[in-house]
Amino acid sequence: MASATSRPLEYLEGLPGTTFYKLYQQPSTALAIFRRMLPDLAKCFVMALLYLKDPLPTADLEVWVNSESKKERDNALSILGRLHILSTTLTSENVRAYMVTNPFAASLRQALMGAEDSHSFGVFSQAPEHTLTSIADLDEYARRQWEGVMGYMVGTSALSGQRDAVNLSKGVKQLLQAGHLVEIRGNRVDITKDGFGFVLQDVNTQVWHILILYVESAEAIGMDSVEVLSFLFLLSSLELGSSYDKSHMTPNQLRTLTDLADFGIVYQEDADATRFYPTRLATTLTSDSSALSNPVTGSLTGPAGPSGGTGSGFIIIETNYRLYAYTSSPLQISLISLFTNLKYRFPNLVTGKITRQSVRRAIEMGITADQIISYLLSHAHPQLRKHSAAQSNGKGVPASVLPPTVTDQIRLWQLERDRLRATAGFLFKDFTSLAEYQAPCQYAAEIGVLVWKSDRKRMFFVTRHEQVAAFLRSQKVGGK
Amino acid sequence: MNSVDASEHYELGATDLSPSLLTIIIDTNPHAWALLEDSLPLSKAIANILVFINAHLACNYANEVAVVASHSQKAAWLYPSHNAPRGPSADHDGDVAMNGATDAQLPETNKYRPFRLVEEQVTRNLKELMDSTTGDDLRGNMSTMLAGALTLALSHTNRRTLAWAEEHGGANAEDTAAEGNGNGGTATTRYSASNEDERLQSRILVISVSGSTDAAHQYIPVMNSIFACQRLSIPIDVCKLSGDAVFLQQASDATRGIYMALTEPRGLLQYLMMAFLPDQRSRRHLVLPTRVDVDFRAACFCHRRVVDVGFVCSICLSIFCEPPPGGDCMTCGTHLEICDNAKPALLPRKKKKKKRVNGASGTGTPMSTPTPGP
Repeated sequence: MASATSRPLEYLEGLPGTTFYKLYQQPSTALAIFRRMLPDLAKCFVMALLYLKDPLPTADLEVWVNSESKKERDNALSILGRLHILSTTLTSENVRAYMVTNPFAASLRQALMGAEDSHSFGVFSQAPEHTLTSIADLDEYARRQWEGVMGYMVGTSALSGQRDAVNLSKGVKQLLQAGHLVEIRGNRVDITKDGFGFVLQDVNTQVWHILILYVESAEAIGMDSVEVLSFLFLLSSLELGSSYDKSHMTPNQLRTLTDLADFGIVYQEDADATRFYPTRLATTLTSDSSALSNPVTGSLTGPAGPSGGTGSGFIIIETNYRLYAYTSSPLQISLISLFTNLKYRFPNLVTGKITRQSVRRAIEMGITADQIISYLLSHAHPQLRKHSAAQSNGKGVPASVLPPTVTDQIRLWQLERDRLRATAGFLFKDFTSLAEYQAPCQYAAEIGVLVWKSDRKRMFFVTRHEQVAAFLRSQKVGGK
Repeated sequence: MNSVDASEHYELGATDLSPSLLTIIIDTNPHAWALLEDSLPLSKAIANILVFINAHLACNYANEVAVVASHSQKAAWLYPSHNAPRGPSADHDGDVAMNGATDAQLPETNKYRPFRLVEEQVTRNLKELMDSTTGDDLRGNMSTMLAGALTLALSHTNRRTLAWAEEHGGANAEDTAAEGNGNGGTATTRYSASNEDERLQSRILVISVSGSTDAAHQYIPVMNSIFACQRLSIPIDVCKLSGDAVFLQQASDATRGIYMALTEPRGLLQYLMMAFLPDQRSRRHLVLPTRVDVDFRAACFCHRRVVDVGFVCSICLSIFCEPPPGGDCMTCGTHLEICDNAKPALLPRKKKKKKRVNGASGTGTPMSTPTPGP
């Protein structure tokens, strides 16, 4: 699963079951979670079970999946279980069987068949349009606001001298501070280690990160986090370029809307306007990052001038560690300068070189090699992609977009410094027999939670213990 | 040198999975649907198919769908409508007005907008198609324009694949096409191995009701479409509600698609959801319903009859149900020496060959598997 998916997924997993129950009442939420959070195979399972009258016996499901794909199957089932989408019951013949849990199943069915009236997919504004807001305007607005937020964090205002007319509201600044992305010392804004990691992520991940921070902080200012969360999922199912009516909304939703407008996720002419427009940042929330990378990052992070949006990426990197970035955006230049020694700057191009020193400097600031590489990858110039596609033709292995020498070296430079990695988790030990040890260990590996194991000491270490424990229990029952 | 290194380091690239394009060919032959009226009327089937389309669109933000009607006298687009510029805002003249009207009347019919756009267009176009069908069209015409529909689906798929590749700067479509022409034999393996995940994943689903035995006159164009799909590694899935489709069995067999003849047409939706929804990536992990005994019979070139045993021109491989008049092949004009004892001599050899290909199944000529090189 993409790194972009994991953060919202982790957050959702942490929620209690009752929250899920409330969330899944909304068809738009069910649809968004189905689309965004589940791996392919899990989607197949849900859809196959959705219109089935009786629960599907576990044995049948196991037969349905190839024997070689056991790992994928268990992974899919485990995610479905963690999100409270699939549950096991006993059929009349006392066989264990899977079924889709109810508020989710009903909502997803409603979403697919359209038989509902809860305004879960927004209500179009009926009021005549005074000023038509085009998609280009919305993109421009979203880009300006989002770059404003980024610029505030990185402190480009000092770098560029001139400042776009973006006034960040107090709420935005507080949210960034509460999320430990920036620290405010007196009048100065200092970006934190988390903040560095944040600014290098792709836009979709960043938006999710911010939204989750927002939901977390919503409780503190007296809003129901479930309501805010389902409103976010509602936003993600709206259509770009149309305006929606605000009159059906609750006060909390209106408040959320105003806050999100500061980030450029929605657009409204002013706080009292009767309608709002979702921007691309909102409508692509539940898309894959690949679907989003072109339209949004093209217009968001590409060259800020009118030529923006022509291509998806702007960075060319050569095997000799030289980097060429076709951008004039002060934000992008300052981001690149975090891990590159910049050498020349032209009106539409900056060049530089990635060196051991520059990468170490970045790593000392708390940026990881993976972040650098994923930044380079998500902003790679179309020419690089074309080249790698041409290389991969006719060979079994697809060539990477970035030169492997460079990515390997960046990782090696990180390894020079960083030799320990902490993983929070649970240790299973003191197994009486080898067989008793092997079964849960293998199971843990299959559901993808195993981090480390030692056959000799009969110990293994996992990131999540609930399912392994359940497995151990079921084994005990089976054994007796 | 890159390929040596690139295998395991870069999990990042592999996680961005490309969307899939599903083209559905609905056989709308009124004769066949009239026979199904009791168990599954067309309106109900369309409703089920629409839910299935929504499920497909729900799976991925960028998933696309196209619907073609294979009618009794022509093949027609149901979605997207090609007679007008594409896109929701700049659609048909009538389209925008109609959307506005429904919004005004029923503000509470609240549906995810992409779903509604597809549904409205499909139902409207289908209605237009049915209204334009006159009794004269149907008289004496029992078949369905499967070949035309398959060709439309293929050309649409090709266009979307090229457009998608261009937008994403990924796999260079022209390069792949050029290479595909170069070495026909390895084309399939190469597609499935290296850049399958980077392309737009496309597949075709045929919902078939009429028996294709009466469609034998379309044998050659249908087989050509099948070979094109095989070359492009586009699976043709077949969902058979009634009748028996000789060529469609071969189609799904040759393109490694799914063939299912429904015993209980009322359960159409569940069949669709379970068997036909998974895309190529998920299919790798699933055990899929396939047909073991594929009907490999061919249609002869002279009378379009489906034949078990026939005569094959040794030069151009044309099939004839009886020796061509004068011993001249009707396709390539080669003069063929046909002696009187040719028939008995041919029989045992054919049988042997057939056994090797598809086991102990009934009559059949093993002719659909090889891909003809250019």
